[in-house]
Amino acid sequence: MISAISTNLPVFIIIAPLFVAFVLPTLAKRKRLVENLVLSVEVLMLLGICYLASIVLFRKDIPIIYQMGGWPAPWGIELKVGSLGTFFLLTIAIVSLPVALFARGNLTHEVGGKERIARFYVLYLLLVGALAGMALTNDLFNVYVLVEVATLSCCGLVSARNHPRAAKATFTYLILATLGSCLVMGGIGFIYIITGHLNMEFASRELSIIWQNNPRVVWMAFSFMLVGFGVKSALFPLHVWLPDAHSVAPSPASAILSGLAVKGYIICLLKVLYNVFGQTLMQAYSVHKILVLVGMVAIIAGSISALTQKELKRRLAFSTVAQVGYIFLGFGLLNTRGLAGALFYLASHAVIKSTLFLSAAAMQTATGKKEIKDLSGIGRKMPITAAAFTVSSLGLTGIPLFSGFVGKWNLLQGSMESGSILPISVIIAGSVLCGAYLFPVIRIAYFETAPEKDWKDPNLPQKLALILLSAVIVVLGVVPGPFLELANRAAAELLVLR
Amino acid sequence: MKDFILKRMASIILPFICIYGFYVILHGHVSPGGSFAGGIIVGLSFIAYSTIYGIEKGRKKLPEKVLVAAESYGTLWYGIMGLVGIIKGVPFLANKLAGVDLGVPGTLNSGGLISFIGFGVGIRVASTMVTLFFTMMEEE
Repeated sequence: MISAISTNLPVFIIIAPLFVAFVLPTLAKRKRLVENLVLSVEVLMLLGICYLASIVLFRKDIPIIYQMGGWPAPWGIELKVGSLGTFFLLTIAIVSLPVALFARGNLTHEVGGKERIARFYVLYLLLVGALAGMALTNDLFNVYVLVEVATLSCCGLVSARNHPRAAKATFTYLILATLGSCLVMGGIGFIYIITGHLNMEFASRELSIIWQNNPRVVWMAFSFMLVGFGVKSALFPLHVWLPDAHSVAPSPASAILSGLAVKGYIICLLKVLYNVFGQTLMQAYSVHKILVLVGMVAIIAGSISALTQKELKRRLAFSTVAQVGYIFLGFGLLNTRGLAGALFYLASHAVIKSTLFLSAAAMQTATGKKEIKDLSGIGRKMPITAAAFTVSSLGLTGIPLFSGFVGKWNLLQGSMESGSILPISVIIAGSVLCGAYLFPVIRIAYFETAPEKDWKDPNLPQKLALILLSAVIVVLGVVPGPFLELANRAAAELLVLR
Repeated sequence: MKDFILKRMASIILPFICIYGFYVILHGHVSPGGSFAGGIIVGLSFIAYSTIYGIEKGRKKLPEKVLVAAESYGTLWYGIMGLVGIIKGVPFLANKLAGVDLGVPGTLNSGGLISFIGFGVGIRVASTMVTLFFTMMEEE
């Protein structure tokens, strides 16, 4: 029994949330049971993922390969538990558990009615399952299917709020995300046409032999993948859907969308770029230069757009656009340090942005106001929420001892290794801008007098979620050890010349 | 609708459409079509029933509770069939490796677990089609 579970752990991590998601609609009337089921499956996922991570960390040999249905690689679908997969799985578990805890506290009034809670959790668990699948899968078509599952559940999560603005935002998101899916599908099709494989390793091996015979097809595949995943992960010029969708979604949904869903697509793109095309092809087509350039533009443009926003949630949403820029910049540096920094930044941003969104949501619920200037003096009245917001904005800006710093430090060192001055200055300017749009909120919250109103910290599960997430930010900043080790190893594995 | 001919013809044809849908579902692995196409045919028989005899009667035939259960457990059934492999000590979704009899190729009994999986998917597709139809009809 135990051995059956541990050998099949990779597949259990993917199907456990899906199984619970399929059972939930029939239990819609029993709210407590639904919430307990969701939390327990999240805890079980966390335990399983920690077990996998410990295996990957301490047994330094080849990654665990799981063959679905017992079919070997070119015919069957593989799950590959390597450093990258475990790293992203850990991020998923660390973020999605507190977010589920927070949802337990405040969901009823946000989605409008008790019966809709079960539907929200169905979509939530489908998204988590799809993200776990993205982390582990080693098959291109599987990537596409999981991307579709994640996209549709994201759209559902945005529209879960009972509000006309949510419907409009969902529609925009649905159209653009479907366009993105089509492009991803096209890219996979082009790769399949010239290689005849859907398994990433086999496709990559074939590509490295024949790419010079079909330069245009490879070029098309590259651009389709970049634009397709770019739309989904809100790369700067393609981000138009994000601010609306992420600011009107119910607060746990906006936390998981901004924190994790966007990252899932980035991980898929990373796998396609490095595991399928490989470093040589990226250099041959100058894709890495495009990534660095687009990343820099995204950092500056996203930060400036965030500066101009007056609503807190919209400001945070635009900030996501900027932070995605850092990750893309790191992907284009083509050295281990930069890539590891980008990966670590991806994880730390996932944690930080969910904390920011959750604490902003708690403030918004307590005050009933959306704009930043209405939050004056909230730090005294809601100490835990404001402290979580402060810790996470320090982390996002990249102050030492908080997790964002470790990522940015490695990114800076990576850009120094790559030898160009522009990325360095953009990373520093981005940090300054980040401080410029987040610190005023802290100043208003702590140093202005509060109106005579009865604002209180949210209830226990929400407070617990905020404290857990802030603790993760600090712990990752002070002792990044094993997490950074995983990121380093993942980066080294991705950069191996084939 | 008050059309006598339509109602009488429907009462004769619809059961056969429904059964044909199940036929397509169960023969998914040996003939064209499959669980998705078959599920749509099954769903279509119920949709036609409720357009001809009225939504209320259709709702009575398939209450929301039944639809939700069919949707959920239809999908869950797929996963449970995948677990057969794990229980037998081989990977998830294993078919022949799990010791399932694969039968004679070309006959109905030839896909091992595939026809069982297809049955779950077919039920799910059918109930989803009917749910979609009811939602669209009842929402103004």
